[in-house]
Amino acid sequence: MPAAAWEQIQEQYPGLDKIDILIGLPTFNLAATIETVLSAILEGLDRWFPQASVIIVAADGGSKDGTPELIKRSIGNRRPVAVIPAIANGMVANPFAINRLSYSGMPAREESFRSLFMIAEQSRARTCICIDGGIRSVMPDWVELLAKPVLEKDADYVAPVFRRQRYEGSLTNGLVAPLTRALYGKRIAGQAGGAYGFSGKLISRCVQKDLWEGEAARFSIDTWLTTVAIAEGFNVWQASLGSKIQDVKANGLDVSMVLTQAVGAVFHYMERYQDVWEKQAESSAVPVSGPPFEVRAEAVTINTERMVQGFQQGLRDLLPIWEIILAPDTLEGILALGLAEEDAFTFPLPLWVQTVYDFAIAYREKVIHRDHLLKSLTPLYLGRTASLVLETRGAGTEEVERAVEHGCTTFERMKPYLVERWRFQ
Amino acid sequence: MNEMWQEAMVEGYREMMRRVALFLPKLMALLTFLTLGLIVGGVIRMFLQRVLKAVHFDALCERMGAAPALRRAGVKRSPSQLIGQLAFWIVFVFFAFMGVDALDLPATTHLMSAIVGFLPHVIAAVFVALVGILLANFSGEAVLIAAVNAQIHGARLIATLVRWGVIIFTAAMVLTQLGIAKEIVIAAFSIIFGGIVLAMAIALGLGGRIIAREALERRLRREKVNDELTHI
Repeated sequence: MPAAAWEQIQEQYPGLDKIDILIGLPTFNLAATIETVLSAILEGLDRWFPQASVIIVAADGGSKDGTPELIKRSIGNRRPVAVIPAIANGMVANPFAINRLSYSGMPAREESFRSLFMIAEQSRARTCICIDGGIRSVMPDWVELLAKPVLEKDADYVAPVFRRQRYEGSLTNGLVAPLTRALYGKRIAGQAGGAYGFSGKLISRCVQKDLWEGEAARFSIDTWLTTVAIAEGFNVWQASLGSKIQDVKANGLDVSMVLTQAVGAVFHYMERYQDVWEKQAESSAVPVSGPPFEVRAEAVTINTERMVQGFQQGLRDLLPIWEIILAPDTLEGILALGLAEEDAFTFPLPLWVQTVYDFAIAYREKVIHRDHLLKSLTPLYLGRTASLVLETRGAGTEEVERAVEHGCTTFERMKPYLVERWRFQ
Repeated sequence: MNEMWQEAMVEGYREMMRRVALFLPKLMALLTFLTLGLIVGGVIRMFLQRVLKAVHFDALCERMGAAPALRRAGVKRSPSQLIGQLAFWIVFVFFAFMGVDALDLPATTHLMSAIVGFLPHVIAAVFVALVGILLANFSGEAVLIAAVNAQIHGARLIATLVRWGVIIFTAAMVLTQLGIAKEIVIAAFSIIFGGIVLAMAIALGLGGRIIAREALERRLRREKVNDELTHI
């Protein structure tokens, strides 16, 4: 437990107790962006919460570019500020979670969150706002959008929604969010990273050991936070935060690892929350703070040819593995896709949903090593993404959004397939 | 003459009876050891199989690729059954040798001590072989998936090479452990392994230097790839 971090803060601010807002910043070598972020946060606090008791805490992963000094200098005497090491005394970084590095782009990010949660718990903060210091596009109103639902509307968890380009976040839109929605009945965008708001109640849950130890600790915090909040019945909100401009991005090069972490977390928690999701039949929207916005019309560059080739190579080389994982009729459907030409390639949505559900069951059954299982889903995911892009290439933004929504409803509609196989496998 | 003949007959008969009387307990001991071997071996087999079942050993072997490897090799029993059977035969052979030793035949005088002395090597060799097979399958599968996800042509070939590399390495270790032609095994392994590394170095140096340079340049200079898709 990061007792030393709390002691450091108490030394600086002895009477710190029952504060309104704790602003937490996981940082690592962010000299280029941190001043902009802090300026926006301070402006937001002055504008929306001038009378609130606030502390800004940066949990630093060992910056070598003077980030901690910059933080202190930028804030000065305007608000109480403390910089603590991300991994405080008595806390050990999980050696098996080294692969989280490139996903979040920041070493010890998860440990930073844990330290911040502990300090928020100890200081009995009403809300804790965690904002990644590497985001250039932080606006003053983010503070309001993330804090107000907790302070005034009884929200426990405020997840971010960013304005994105077409097809951006395809893993989230095509797999993680629809699966989460079908399982737990909450229509949440499930976008990872950037900024979050937490209530004191959720923080008390988040500091518990079970989320940081064992297999659960292998996954990046962004991938399990939403699942835990929804599945355990916390009051979940979303905040429309606008654009997210970040230097480090989990781009196409990391797809296999990103998929392993994101999908692995959902599959992992399916075992724990089986009683919750088995009973859940319908989905409902979650409240949103901030004005809604549409998907940006311009699309990112996607090389569908390479994706289809990735799928076809998977079909050629990973077939013995897929034979173990997939149900016979699912495999039959996938084998038929290999016959299509690249231009006419299509991966039907119901087949994709069935594939994902088969993988979830195989993950639970541990039919092969779980890391291998998750990574072997990559070619199939590439195939489905390519299919979606090809299907909606000439379509407008609304049509693409409708296709994504159709994906979500298909996951919901086919949930009985999952439940049946899960129970009787 | 008649008396001498009778005496010789009686003496022969007595000697024979004495020998039989001496050998019978030894034979009984052999039969007892064999029976005990069957019973103790059976009990140990049953106990082991139940323990392995309780700890889901078969599922573990399935995940690690050992069970599929055994199936491919034509073994129809499950790994837990196989280990139980192996334990049975080890115990039975152990008792059988004790029985043979009890016969006190000149040819088998030191058999038992020799067997007992060699047993640790056999156990170590079996353990090394088992771990080696598991590692070979696990590494082969991991490399195959990684290579496919990286869209490397010849992913299966690379995975097969890795798998067989580990198997050859394991086989060399097993033979060394058993003390079979130690020098030859080490020399053969060095030649094969060195040959593979040299062949790969030459292949990369001559055939793939441009690709290697481009790959390194891409990695070190972090060139922007065509695909800008953010998956998460």
